[in-house]
Amino acid sequence: MILPDPLQKLINALERLPGIGPKSASRLAFFLLRSGDDLADELAQALHGLKERVAFCQECFNITSAGREHCEICDDPRRDSTLLCVVEDALDVLSLERTGGFPGKYHVLHGVLSPIEGIGPDDLKIQPLIERVRRGGIKEVILATNPSMEGDATALYLRQRLEPFGLRVTRLARGLPVGGDLEYADQNTLLRALAGRQEMD
Amino acid sequence: MYLTHLSLTNFRSFARLDLEIPRRAILLVGSNAQGKTSLLEAVYFLAAFTSFQTHADRQLLHFNTVREAKNQVSVGRLTADYQRGTGKHHLEVRLILEPVGVGNGIRLRKEILLDKVKRQAHEVIGHFNAVIFAPQMSQILEGGPDERRRYINMALAQTFPAYARTLSEYHQALTQRNALLKTLNEKGGNSEHLSIWDEPLTRLGSQIILWRIQALQELEIQARRIHSQITRGKEVLRLVYQPSYEPLPTPAGQISLPLEFPVDRSGLAPEEIRRGFAEKLEKIRAEEIARGQTLIGPHRDEVRFLANGIDLGDYGSRGQIRTALLSVKLAEVAWMQSRTGEWPVILLDEVMAELDIQRRADLLNYLAEAEQVLLTTTDLHLFTPEFIRQALVWQVQDGKIAPQNDPAEEE
Repeated sequence: MILPDPLQKLINALERLPGIGPKSASRLAFFLLRSGDDLADELAQALHGLKERVAFCQECFNITSAGREHCEICDDPRRDSTLLCVVEDALDVLSLERTGGFPGKYHVLHGVLSPIEGIGPDDLKIQPLIERVRRGGIKEVILATNPSMEGDATALYLRQRLEPFGLRVTRLARGLPVGGDLEYADQNTLLRALAGRQEMD
Repeated sequence: MYLTHLSLTNFRSFARLDLEIPRRAILLVGSNAQGKTSLLEAVYFLAAFTSFQTHADRQLLHFNTVREAKNQVSVGRLTADYQRGTGKHHLEVRLILEPVGVGNGIRLRKEILLDKVKRQAHEVIGHFNAVIFAPQMSQILEGGPDERRRYINMALAQTFPAYARTLSEYHQALTQRNALLKTLNEKGGNSEHLSIWDEPLTRLGSQIILWRIQALQELEIQARRIHSQITRGKEVLRLVYQPSYEPLPTPAGQISLPLEFPVDRSGLAPEEIRRGFAEKLEKIRAEEIARGQTLIGPHRDEVRFLANGIDLGDYGSRGQIRTALLSVKLAEVAWMQSRTGEWPVILLDEVMAELDIQRRADLLNYLAEAEQVLLTTTDLHLFTPEFIRQALVWQVQDGKIAPQNDPAEEE
């Protein structure tokens, strides 16, 4: 059976989303078709506004509402401007903010180095980071890219670039999850935890 | 360790097979193309999660299943119960062939369950061990270096728990580094970016080199002992590891050490190898960029097999190669046993036909000690009556297996 054109278009569009396969896409499309209330309209409006009303902070490249030059965090005078945390994407900022334990500011790279995908230093927000550091006032940069091979490589690259500025460069600790169980940790995590063990104080 | 039960569904020529397997030698007898080798392949697959025959896993599925897979999901399944030490375990591998989207072809997915819990291959590998010996394995000696690396990798992955994972991470770093080298070659750019990929490459690579040094040294000791027995002291077998990055100092202007040169790399510290590897990469940077790929490292390692100082890959006779291979395989068994404290299951595919009477007898004597051996043959007469009396004889026909009465008693 050939589906009506609008429906097929919607299915194709949904299928392009991450984590959505052909079956989920059809199910979502049919759900939207059947839903009597304003769900489809609300969704359409939300999607429409997404690109128009959301912008990137010119300082840290975190997401912010359109029309603002800087995001809430960069504008907040209570945040510690001498402490900078570098993350892969905006979702990581959200995770760190939820902890409520980080007093400093952020810098979002929008990706990691990956030559296979053709992503080099110029494709990330690395130059703006260097500029930010050059302007001075920053005492410590925390590299909080993911502990993956690409995340580690990116951190290593940043460390090399930041070295001449003579500031403190740190990397997030790696090892066992809190509330975890030694028994269930995989070998690599355990090895890294062992290598990064700390003095008990 | 030994298998107690094996069941196969849609694997090679077996639509369905259920076998209780005793802890002893089992002789699989049958004409050609009946499924003998497929059975050994299945057992080996449970140890290595890859086939010794094909590089394409989808060929392992029953061909009818592959044909159907264009329209629907189809599954091949291997399950085994086995005893390891004092523990009983259950291992299941599902080979799932499924269509990708609509009209996008098919892909194969592997699911591995140890004791009914889904696991990653690198977590399970080494839990059930097997060593396989088939005639086409003379490729290990005669074929290209990739055949030897594949062989060494499969043996080491079963023996060192973290080897498989480290190797796959090494290849991930290698792929990234090669992609960058290619970009630098084609478009130019800042070659200093390479150093960030040197870090994982040398860290993982030096670990692999270290494991290979250790394993090959231990394997050589076993192989030399066994080969001396088999050849009645006429030949001295050597396994020469030639790492593509040589951690030892080399004679001026040469990349590797000469074959005949006896080397001992056992005293090397991991950090020493890593630093040397990284320095060497710095030195050949220009050449690597010019060629657009990583030129040294474990992905280019080589192992040579020497009998009385003669390189068997180049000059070995057919018989010499067969004998050397037998020694290497038996050494692998002995080495795995000393490392893990467990006999691996031994799989021998049509091996007897290739050996002379004396070597057959030697092999059968040796096998009498093993915990479980599966042998295939087209001809029972290649085996001594004593061996047949101790072993269990099974008839394989059209993908079905039936116990056969002892032919010695029938006569």
